[in-house]
Amino acid sequence: MPAKPISRRSFLKSSSTLAKGSFIALTAPAILAACRQAEENIGSTEPSFSTLTEIEGKELRAIAARIVPTDETPGAEEAGVIYFIDAVLGDNAEKEYGQVRSALREIQAESGIKFGASYFFELTAEQQDQVLTDIETTPFFATIRYLTIAGMFSLPEYGGNKDKIGYKLIGFNDAHAWSAPYGFYDADYALKGE
Amino acid sequence: MAQAPFSTRDTVDFIVVGSGAAGGIMAKELSTAGFSVVVLEQGPYLKAGDFKHDEWGYDHNEDLTWGARQGHPQTFRKSESDVAELSAKASLGYAHNVGGSSVHFSGNFWRLREIDFIEASVKGSIAGTNFVDWPITYSDLEPYYTKVDWEIGVSGLQGPWDPPRSREYPCPPMPIKSPGVLLERAGKQLGLNPYPAPVAILSQPHNGRPGCIHCGFCNGFGCEVDAKSSSMATMMPIALGTGNCELRTGCTVHRVNTDEAGKASEVVYWDESGVEHAQKARAVVLSANGAETPRLLLLSESAQHPDGLANSSGYVGKNLMFNGYSSVAGLFDEPVNGHKSIPATRVIHDFYELSSELGFYGGGGIDSRHLSRGTPMGFALGGSHFGGPKWGSEYKRNLEREFTHSAAFDGHTTSLPLSSNNVSLDPDVVDKWGRPALRCTYMDHPDDIATMKFFYDKSLELMEAAGAKRTTGFYPENGQDGNVHLLGTCRMGNDSASSVVNKFNRAHDVSNLFMVDGSSLVTSGRGQPTMTIMALAFRAADNIIQAANRGEI
Repeated sequence: MPAKPISRRSFLKSSSTLAKGSFIALTAPAILAACRQAEENIGSTEPSFSTLTEIEGKELRAIAARIVPTDETPGAEEAGVIYFIDAVLGDNAEKEYGQVRSALREIQAESGIKFGASYFFELTAEQQDQVLTDIETTPFFATIRYLTIAGMFSLPEYGGNKDKIGYKLIGFNDAHAWSAPYGFYDADYALKGE
Repeated sequence: MAQAPFSTRDTVDFIVVGSGAAGGIMAKELSTAGFSVVVLEQGPYLKAGDFKHDEWGYDHNEDLTWGARQGHPQTFRKSESDVAELSAKASLGYAHNVGGSSVHFSGNFWRLREIDFIEASVKGSIAGTNFVDWPITYSDLEPYYTKVDWEIGVSGLQGPWDPPRSREYPCPPMPIKSPGVLLERAGKQLGLNPYPAPVAILSQPHNGRPGCIHCGFCNGFGCEVDAKSSSMATMMPIALGTGNCELRTGCTVHRVNTDEAGKASEVVYWDESGVEHAQKARAVVLSANGAETPRLLLLSESAQHPDGLANSSGYVGKNLMFNGYSSVAGLFDEPVNGHKSIPATRVIHDFYELSSELGFYGGGGIDSRHLSRGTPMGFALGGSHFGGPKWGSEYKRNLEREFTHSAAFDGHTTSLPLSSNNVSLDPDVVDKWGRPALRCTYMDHPDDIATMKFFYDKSLELMEAAGAKRTTGFYPENGQDGNVHLLGTCRMGNDSASSVVNKFNRAHDVSNLFMVDGSSLVTSGRGQPTMTIMALAFRAADNIIQAANRGEI
């Protein structure tokens, strides 16, 4: 019996929803090692990954940097999200890592077909956005979006929210105690004696 | 009498399976009355110092709630004609730790009202449902609600619609937050009666525990200062202090055995290392929650009990009720900062009973919250909440505004009891112990969905009255695919043909077996069941102690 032909876009096959298609369903909590890895790597010109190859690291880093870009404020790049992704994909996630690798190869092929580049990370930001927009309903994109955002907004000790960059972006102060007034409206309520 | 710890060779007075909202109370009440008690709990004994603001750990890895990763897969289907599919996250959610879900719940603590107990006879039966009156009334339960208020610790202020109470709240209401102000002002503008939400979170020190420090991580998290009134923080320390109670953590019960007379005689469980033990007892209390209690009864089938233990009615696992919900979020000009302090500080209960002129049965309440529980990771994954791109610079701009400037008005509503909504044993999927997995079959009744839509529409109206610049919202119009309110699966009743336990939570079929948790609720209430689960536990314990002292167990 002939082997079932593998569709070129099998790993980038569209799913109906953006958020629910992530294929990272299971990981163990042992990714605290990511913290140390991230600490060692941030600012380094030759970052090292525990799971990803150098090229995979560059590709995923480039994708994360389009999901939460660096503009007037820091983004996924400065938060060190790539080290969180590296740790998660290395943590009992062989199947998911394999899917990510396959999808990256497809994205590289797309980058070549559309823009004549060997790698996604070599494209301009506009070209990268074009490639990502084409695949934004795929499980692969949902997965990398999920990991980028989860890394950036989870506890800094997981390695992807360096210097609480994610928290600062949205105005979340992780003080462990607050007292009233908490916001404008309750301050106003107290002032008016309602 | 022997002192704890006990040997499995001892026949203890009571085994309590589960240490959650109800189990903790049973352990405390029975042990302080002088009975020997062994509590078997699947999870670990986590305490205030063990909890963190760890969304990745709790939400993604399910460190507290456990799922397939921890070896506890569940399956779900809408209808009995479907083959259930593996759920990505537990459909029947609960926390696996001492204190159960009373540790990580939001703390909202509504009493039922007089109408909840007699609603079927007042409103009339509903074809195709098992909607009936309770065998008890509000006045039977009121003393125990008050006992919960004072022994557990509840903060609140008697509201305009609240049923009579025999004693004031022990703690004043929590300070109002901006989402509460927005709901209160909007409600008043629409001629409604918003008032402080009652919560099982201390606004000031009570019973040796400190008041809340308003860190904002209640819903889904364990309290880091013991201000949340969980069984773990309130009941278990007293139970263990009596010397009559032994808590065995990491112990998974898989069977209740009966003797020739048909009475429960021993409970069989695996300890953390997988070694099987059998503990003998004079009576057994199942407080494993509305999913695990029926599962355990179904797993305890025998020649004597071919359809599962205590299941001559066929109602074990049936009538599963969740409570419905709706959520409407609004974006405001000024900082709301709903992520600070407790989830809800104001509630509107003017729609507790919807008019029958609407053409469907239902009712509920609306409270005010942050749109994502106030947690950064869950919030950011959901952005842009009010429309717009889900990644890129514009997404980032939206996040910056939405987190601090939004509020949500959430509806909490009735669920009707149906035989076709149930907990059963999956025929294909097994858990890490080799037991059939929990299978949930659930589709909201059309009236439940109509009720959710009513609360969605009403919340939208309130949000607009509150002055929201943009709004968004959701209700499960195609039915829910899971919940954390696990109710009705061993319902209480006087008729042994149509209920599983009697009005004191004793199994109709097995005279020394008691089911005390969300499973005994006859109707769903309007959305915050833990207060009632705890009151029923105090009442059951009171009657069990009296019966035991008369030699009637």
